[in-house]
Amino acid sequence: MSDLLDLEEPKDTGHEMRDEIRKTSERSRARRQATSRVMVILCSLALLIAAVPLVLLMYQLFRQGASQVDWTFFTKLPTTPTLLSPNATGGISNDIIGTIALTIYASILAIPVGVLVGVYLAETESKLATTLRVVSQTMAGAPSILMGLFAFSLIVHDLNVGFSSIAGSFALAVLMLPVIIISTEIAVRNVPLTLREAGLALGAKPHKVSLRIVLPTALTGIVTGVILAISRAVGETAPVLLVIGGGYTNSWKPFDPVSAMPLAIYENAKSEWPAQRAQVWGIALVLVIFVFILSLTARIWASRKQQVRN
Amino acid sequence: MSNAAAVDLLEHEEMEEGPVSSSISRSWYHYVLIAAALLFTAISLGFVGTIFWSSWPTWIHHGVTLLTGKGWTSPNGPFGGLAMITGTLETSLIALVIAVIIGLGTSISIVFFIPRRFRTIVATLVELLAAIPSVVYGLWGLLVIAPWMQTTVNPWLNSWPFAKEIFGNSGQEFGTSLLLASIVLGIMILPTFVAISREVIAVVPQDLMEASLSLGATRWQMIREVVLPTAKIGLFGATFLALARATGETVAVALVAGSVANVQFHLLYPGTSIAAWIATEFGESQGNEVSALMALGVILMVLNVCLALISRSLVSRQRRALARV
Repeated sequence: MSDLLDLEEPKDTGHEMRDEIRKTSERSRARRQATSRVMVILCSLALLIAAVPLVLLMYQLFRQGASQVDWTFFTKLPTTPTLLSPNATGGISNDIIGTIALTIYASILAIPVGVLVGVYLAETESKLATTLRVVSQTMAGAPSILMGLFAFSLIVHDLNVGFSSIAGSFALAVLMLPVIIISTEIAVRNVPLTLREAGLALGAKPHKVSLRIVLPTALTGIVTGVILAISRAVGETAPVLLVIGGGYTNSWKPFDPVSAMPLAIYENAKSEWPAQRAQVWGIALVLVIFVFILSLTARIWASRKQQVRN
Repeated sequence: MSNAAAVDLLEHEEMEEGPVSSSISRSWYHYVLIAAALLFTAISLGFVGTIFWSSWPTWIHHGVTLLTGKGWTSPNGPFGGLAMITGTLETSLIALVIAVIIGLGTSISIVFFIPRRFRTIVATLVELLAAIPSVVYGLWGLLVIAPWMQTTVNPWLNSWPFAKEIFGNSGQEFGTSLLLASIVLGIMILPTFVAISREVIAVVPQDLMEASLSLGATRWQMIREVVLPTAKIGLFGATFLALARATGETVAVALVAGSVANVQFHLLYPGTSIAAWIATEFGESQGNEVSALMALGVILMVLNVCLALISRSLVSRQRRALARV
C-alpha cells in the first residue's frame, strides 16, 4: 500500500510539474516574443531616425537649390553684392570650370600611376608589394586636409609654384591614388585564372598575357574604381582649400589660381549677404547631382561587370 | 574616407597574398610596374616626410606645449593644441555614440526587417548619402540646424535642472557649438557606418541563424545571441573606421563648431577640432604659424594612423574568425 502511494505521489507531482513548466514556458515565450517585438520596433525606429535628417537635407537642398539654378548661374562670373544691389550674386562659371579643371588634371596625374601600382600589387609578390598594400589602405583613410598640407609644403612652398590649379590637382591626385590602387588590385585579382592559363598555354609571354588578356578583362572594375575616386575628389573641400587660391576668373591654365564648387560653398555659407547664402544652395545642388551621377555610373558599371561574369 | 573605399577595404582584406600569374620579370612591362610602385613609395614617403619636416621648427621650439598648451596666438605663438585635441575627441566621440546606436539599429532593420525587394534600393540610397560631400552637410548644419538649435533646442536643453552647469549657457549668437558639430558629424558618419556594418551583418552565415531559430529563439534572441556576437569584431572595425572619418573631418566642423580655440567641456559653447582649426587658420597664417599648423597635422596623422591600424586588424580578425565557421 505504502509502495503504491509512493508510486502515485511522484506521478502526481510530475503532472503538476509539467503543467508548471508549460505555464512557465508559455509565459517565457510571451515575454521573449514581447521583447523581440519591442526590439524590432526600436530598430525600425532607428531606421526612421536615421532617415529623417537625411531626407530633410535632400529636401532643403532641392527646395532651396532649384530656384537658384538658371542659365546665368552657369555662365556668369560671381559678383559681390553691395548695399545698392544686395541681390547681385552673379553666377558660378569660375567654380564650375575650376572644379572640372582640377578634376581633369588630378585624373591625369593619378590614373596612370594608380592603375600601374594596382597591377603591380596584384601581379608581383615582394616585401614592397605587401608594404604598399598597407600604405595604400592607410592613405585611403587619411584625413583629406593632410593632402592639402602636403600639396602646400611641396608644390606651393618648396617648389615655389604658388597657389594654383596644379597644386590643388596634386592634392586631389594624392587623395585619389589609394582608391584607384585598391580597386585596380581587386579587379585584376578577380580575373579568372583560367583566362591567364589559356593565354599562357597558347605560348604568350607573361607580360603579353597581363597586357592583352588580364587588363582588358579587368577594365570594367578598374573604370569603376576610377569613377569612385573621381566622385570622391570632386566634392572634397579641405585639400583644395589650402592651395588653389580662390581665383575669380574663368581659367583652365594649370598655374593660375582657381576656385572650385566645394570651396565656393565653404566660403559663401558664412557670407553676411542673404542672397549669397541662398545661392550656396544652388551650388550645393549642382555639386551633389554631379557626385550622384558619378556614383550611380560607377554602380552601373559594377553591376554590368557582374552580369558579364554571370 | 569615402564609404566606397571603406567597403573596398573590406573586400581587399580577403585577398590572399601572392602573385596570381607566373613571373613577368625581365620584360619592359615589369620595369614600368616597378617604376610606378617606386613612384608611389616616394609619394607616400614624401607625404609623411614633407608634413613632418615643415612642422619640425615648431616641435623644436614649442615641443610638448603643442599637445598640452592652451591658447593659440598668431603669428609667433604660444601654440597650444590642447583645445583642438579635446575638441576633436569630444565631437568625434559624441558623433560616434550617435552614429553607432542609430546605425546599428538601422543596419539590423535593413538586413532583417525590410522586405527583400527594397533592400537593394535602401543599400544604394545609403551609399549615395555617404557620397554627399561633407561641405554640404556643413552648409546644412550652419544654415538650417544652427538657427533651429538656437531658437528651439538650446533653450529647451537649458530648461532642465543642472543643464546650465553641464552644457553651458545657450546664449550663443549663431547657434554654432561643439554639440552642433557633434550632431552634424554623427549624421555624416552614419551612412559610412551603416554601409560597412550592414555588410558585416549580412555575411553572418545563414546556418548559424537557422540553428538558433530552430531551437525556438525569437528573432531578437537570434540577433542578440548569434548575429551580433558573430559580427562583433567586424562591427568594432566599422566603428573605428567611422571614428577615423569623424576625427579627420574638416570643413563641416569648421563651419558649425564656431572656430574658437578654447578648451571647452560645456557643449553648447563654440570650439574647434584639429582639422577644422588648420582649415580656418591656414588662410591668414604666416611664418611660424604655418609650421605650427603642420605640427597639428602631424598629430592628426598619428591619431588617424592608429585608428586605421586598429580597424584594419579588427576587420581582418573578423574575416579569419568567419572563415573558421
